Amino acid sequence: MAEILVERVAKSFGDKVAVKDVNLTIKDREFMVLLGPSGCGKTTLLRAIAGLGMADAGRIAIGGRDVTYQPPGQRNISMVFQSYAIFPHMTVRDNIGFGLKMNKVDKSTIRKRIEEAAELLHIEELLDRRPSAMSGGQRQRVAVARAIAMQAKVLLMDEPLSNLDALLRLEMRAELKRLLADVDATTVYVTHDQIEALSMGDRVAVMRDGEIQQCDAPNTVYESPTNRFVGSFIGNPPMNFLEGNIKRSNGQTAVEVAKHEFSLTPETQSLIHDLPGNKVTLGIRAENMETLLQPTPETVAVNVEVVEPLGAQNLLTVSVGGHRLKVSTHPTLEVATDQVLHIRFPANQIRWIDPTTNNVLYTP
Amino acid sequence: MFFLYPMYEGFVLTVYDDDALLPIRESPTLSGATVAKLPLGTELEINDRRSQEMVNAGSDDLITDQWFQVEGTGVDGSLLRGWVTEARIRVREEDASGQPLAGTVRPRLGEGADPLTKIHAEPNETSSVVGQLEQRATVTITQSAELEVWFLVQPADDMNSGAAAGWAPSSYLRVSEDASRGWVSGATSGEFTTKFIQRMVDDRFFGPALRTTLLLLVLIIPVQLVLALAMALVIHARIRLNSGFLYVFALPIGMSDLAAGILFFSIFTGNGLLNSALDGLGIIDGPFAFLTAETTGWILVAIVAAEVWRATSIMMVIIVAGLQAIPDETLEAAELFGANYFQRVRHIILPLLKPSIQVALILRTILALQVFAVVVALSGGDVVTVLANESFRQYADLRNTNVASAYALFILLLSVASAVFYLRSVRSEAEVRPT
Amino acid sequence: MKQTQDPHPPALAPLDSPEVVQSHKQMRRKAKRGRLLTYIVAVVIAVWILVPVFFVFSMAFTTVETVRGYPKNFLPFIPFSTDTMRFFLESDGVLRGLWNSFVVAAITLILSTLLSIPAGYGIARYIFRGRDLFRLSVLAVRAFPIVVLSIPLAVLFLRAGVFDSLWSLALMHTALALPTSILVVSSVFASVPYELEEAGMVFGATPFQSFRHIVVPLVLPGIAASGLFAFVLSWNEVFAASVLTLDNRTLPALVFTSLSNSPDAYKFAGGFFLMIPSIVFMFFIRRYLFNMWGQVTK
Repeated sequence: MAEILVERVAKSFGDKVAVKDVNLTIKDREFMVLLGPSGCGKTTLLRAIAGLGMADAGRIAIGGRDVTYQPPGQRNISMVFQSYAIFPHMTVRDNIGFGLKMNKVDKSTIRKRIEEAAELLHIEELLDRRPSAMSGGQRQRVAVARAIAMQAKVLLMDEPLSNLDALLRLEMRAELKRLLADVDATTVYVTHDQIEALSMGDRVAVMRDGEIQQCDAPNTVYESPTNRFVGSFIGNPPMNFLEGNIKRSNGQTAVEVAKHEFSLTPETQSLIHDLPGNKVTLGIRAENMETLLQPTPETVAVNVEVVEPLGAQNLLTVSVGGHRLKVSTHPTLEVATDQVLHIRFPANQIRWIDPTTNNVLYTP
Repeated sequence: MFFLYPMYEGFVLTVYDDDALLPIRESPTLSGATVAKLPLGTELEINDRRSQEMVNAGSDDLITDQWFQVEGTGVDGSLLRGWVTEARIRVREEDASGQPLAGTVRPRLGEGADPLTKIHAEPNETSSVVGQLEQRATVTITQSAELEVWFLVQPADDMNSGAAAGWAPSSYLRVSEDASRGWVSGATSGEFTTKFIQRMVDDRFFGPALRTTLLLLVLIIPVQLVLALAMALVIHARIRLNSGFLYVFALPIGMSDLAAGILFFSIFTGNGLLNSALDGLGIIDGPFAFLTAETTGWILVAIVAAEVWRATSIMMVIIVAGLQAIPDETLEAAELFGANYFQRVRHIILPLLKPSIQVALILRTILALQVFAVVVALSGGDVVTVLANESFRQYADLRNTNVASAYALFILLLSVASAVFYLRSVRSEAEVRPT
Repeated sequence: MKQTQDPHPPALAPLDSPEVVQSHKQMRRKAKRGRLLTYIVAVVIAVWILVPVFFVFSMAFTTVETVRGYPKNFLPFIPFSTDTMRFFLESDGVLRGLWNSFVVAAITLILSTLLSIPAGYGIARYIFRGRDLFRLSVLAVRAFPIVVLSIPLAVLFLRAGVFDSLWSLALMHTALALPTSILVVSSVFASVPYELEEAGMVFGATPFQSFRHIVVPLVLPGIAASGLFAFVLSWNEVFAASVLTLDNRTLPALVFTSLSNSPDAYKFAGGFFLMIPSIVFMFFIRRYLFNMWGQVTK
């Protein structure tokens, strides 16, 4: 059992607060991704779990053992570093076996584990070479092999793919996912790449300014962001947000955006009606809008500003009443710049957001 | 260039004796082919003399000849004009300043002597003869010239009796009164020699200086290496006030060994800090004289202390620079994989620092070979001495540039040897560099 | 794969319970113990370095009687007095020596700066392949025994009739300082990307203007540091100064040659003057410390 318990952990560097009062429970053998923009505290949190920077306050427990102030070597963890941190003066074999040697594992076991790890990462033929002449991809494999050879209960990964070029990253992502499925460890994986996060994690913890915004399964994070930040950070293009005015009349509530009045379902009626002030934010993803060439009563007329053909889809930037929207359309729909299009916002795709708290009020 | 040329000069000074030999020539002119070179002091037999243009005017040993340009009626009745040595003319008339104006040809004395006197085209005996004068012929003297005498010499000692005879100017010879014997008293031509090196080796301070220099190396460098590593690791730990500590640790870098010598003199001298402290603590009763001829051990301790104090900083800076080249993540990885601090130092830091340590050791050893002011400040330079101090002493006190140069070159040799030693002893790891 | 023995870890006590607070406090203290050791080592080394300097400074500013007295007082500057200093400064040749030292060091500073700027710029901008070789030769020259240089040079200077001249000594010191100066200046220039100069030229500056307005302000502190380095090197140099001068002694040469027949007060006050420039200098060049002495291995 290696459940990781992060309890009210805080860490600051001088005046800068990197992590504030974070609570997070990572289940045994779970693959947890810490996702967020740079400076959000995800790496600091990972390092606190690793013991590479002592937490200022709070508690970190691994497998029920309080390790908050224990040195990293005693936490039964293993790690892949962003720069790989391969020891340049040792052969690949010695690199992989380093942790085992330090932990006084007997020599035959070390040899066996080195070979197993090398085999898993297909680097058997590199074992007796030194890392200085190796490519980035090979070093990456060595770093992963070194981490899994430890057979620790917790495996930490700090942006392990960020130093690879795009193609290699794609390949390694899939391989890492396959590999880690077989490894019997609780994994914490830090990345700023949402595709990595969504494709690899069992759960994704989205962080911002040292706080966890949302921690859910990848689909949930994508489909049901709990606040405007998560919606805007996850997804490419990010979710569209439109400011609307609340119209309250005869007990009926409606929202007007760019002169178009959105009728509300009974569920959302009361939520929006109770909002203080008369503003509400509407959130919708680019792929969730319907683009029509002819107007219908439900559509809003928009002006096409930019057309970006992306192969599988066309991404349009359109404007309506001072708002800009990103809309994706099927590539067969031929659109030209400055053309007028008509867009329908399906009610079951609209998230309503409280503009003062930025929290999502309603997800269909 | 600026460094190579003095080095070459130094080498020349050491092994080349500028004035060891006197070339003797086939004919009594400087352009004459050299017959042999005679070392200073060679005893000579003198077989002949000639007058020649001055080689070395103003020399003490110069023997000169006066020649006159004369006009007179020759044997054949024609008017002659040419040069003749003063010895053949009796001056009869002089002007107010003593300049000879006229005279007569001296008669030759003795049986079978040629009664006629040859007149030469130029003022030396090798030039062509323009004519001859009768004895007692009257001549006018139009000009006079002072010429140097050259001697035809041959080494006099029996061993060299077969040696060729040749001409040498009088200024390099010391000649007996009857001008039949002499010896070489000056020389113009150099010779490779080991005599300066020999003199250095025979110098009574050479052995002690070399011993002390090497002993100091052996005592100082290991201490410094350990201390420099400790200092570098302290700086690398990035504790608070780090830059303040770095400043203090680096302070001695800019200081001369003279300053360090004075600092430690203030500590070890009879009424200095150490005695005051020991006395104050009741460990000793009254001051102990550390820096006397009877306590050379203590002098060495003081020198080691001063040198360690002064020159550890530069090793520290080099090692800190090496440490900075090791990425933080590499050390964190080692820590994470279970290496404690000493294991990290042993398995990661030291191997990765090898190139830096190598440079630090080379630099330090070579600089240690040049230390001298600290030794003089603490010992007066007599009781305990080092090679660099001997070089200085030979130059400044004994005015013996060549031997001083020999010492300097010996230091250079030791420097190169130590650099090669360090490069070789850690060569196998040298190609491993942090990437 | 390994299976853990205990599937149900024991429940942890609440974070703010007294036992957890207490044990955290203990563990934190224990974890910081290594750091404390580092501080102790740092302070011990710092004291070891500072105490002798402090003691000599204290001796330099007290009465001559105190310098002669025993046992010494450990409290600094007691009694404070300028007697020692005055005695030193009024000694024969000292003021002249100070002045000579200053002149030689100033000439060295100017010469080495004038020479190292173009050389350093050239190396930083144009020579890429030879840079390692250059570093190596800098190391070789830096390690080059001054002793080996001084004696032949003294002979040469004697022959050339420029012996015992402050200029010749400054020339010697410039030669000693130059390799390091060039290395520092070139690394300072190398830290200014050439693109910045190109940008200047793109926006219409002549090469000289862009050098003057873009590069110079950025490299000035580094060049000042290398100049200070040359100054201090010259100020400190003993061997060449003693060999190459006779009547025009610089301060270190003067203090050195009179070591055997000078009273302690003279030595300590001399020591003060020998050390003070390097103490000030070290403060200003802290940032360039590693450029000057550290980077031979990189």
